[in-house]
Amino acid sequence: MDKAVVKKKIISLIEGLLEGNTEEITGDTQLVGGNTMLDSMKLVEVCLELEDLAEENGFEFDWTSETAMSKSRGMFRTIDALTNEFVNQMRSES
Amino acid sequence: MIVITGASRGLGKSIVDRLVSKKERVIGLARSIKDLEIDGFECDVSDYESVKNAAKEIKKMKTPIKAFINAAGVASMNMAVTTDKSTVQKLIQTNLVGTIYCCQLFAPIMLRKKQGHFINFSTIAVSLALKGESVYAASKAGVESFSRTFAREMADFNVRVNCIAPGPIRTDLLKGITDAQIQKIISQQVIPKQFQKSDVCDLVELLIDEKSSSLSGQVLNIGGV
Repeated sequence: MDKAVVKKKIISLIEGLLEGNTEEITGDTQLVGGNTMLDSMKLVEVCLELEDLAEENGFEFDWTSETAMSKSRGMFRTIDALTNEFVNQMRSES
Repeated sequence: MIVITGASRGLGKSIVDRLVSKKERVIGLARSIKDLEIDGFECDVSDYESVKNAAKEIKKMKTPIKAFINAAGVASMNMAVTTDKSTVQKLIQTNLVGTIYCCQLFAPIMLRKKQGHFINFSTIAVSLALKGESVYAASKAGVESFSRTFAREMADFNVRVNCIAPGPIRTDLLKGITDAQIQKIISQQVIPKQFQKSDVCDLVELLIDEKSSSLSGQVLNIGGV
């Protein structure tokens, strides 16, 4: 699974959770912080879905790391950051 | 499936025995599992990686967790000024931080199924501000506060969180406490009698039963305060 596919899956996942109540989601869309569209409950659901996606692809997605929720450097700051982290974890475990 | 920490002895062991007698499938977590009479995994609740590994093993079982019971705990009855640094750290790390680690690392398994119940343990020493238990009470006050707030965070996922606060129950944790001291504590309860491990087990049974589905974020003081 390459980065573009992962990004597409993450965007699709979030669009599904928001049930169409959203503007266009891009790589720069924030996941946590002031302008986020996701509440904390939906963010947890994203994490659980990514756990499943990782399992389907034979690795374990860890969303509990110290940097996960950091606004400046955490994986949830944007769609691109989350995509990068997911792909990094996939590559490091394969 | 019900998962319980501190399953090898004391109150945890009594709860295990009760739940097994009620035909519940119980998985025990303990620092040493050699004395466990049920299936279990080694887990030191004060160690994040140890709890994380135990959560991974439980997740692999792909069985919904009906309840997670945080029964592991340590006690030290001393005035704050006569409590050494390592005891302070051990009390906070095991009782408070250990409970937090278990809740945060096992919660995702329950969130996924949108069901489950955490039962944490405090002490009546918190409400009664018992002299000679300041550090222990502080660690458990943290557990109460964490449980009440964590309950709100979990509510959207249909996961309940409650806290049981026993009075002086006869376990190893009460070693060194005299009968006179116990009577003094009991006299401050609403129901001035010494309750037993079986009373705690009764309450655990009640909390994991659907009949208590309206309760979350509560601290249930055994004997009343």
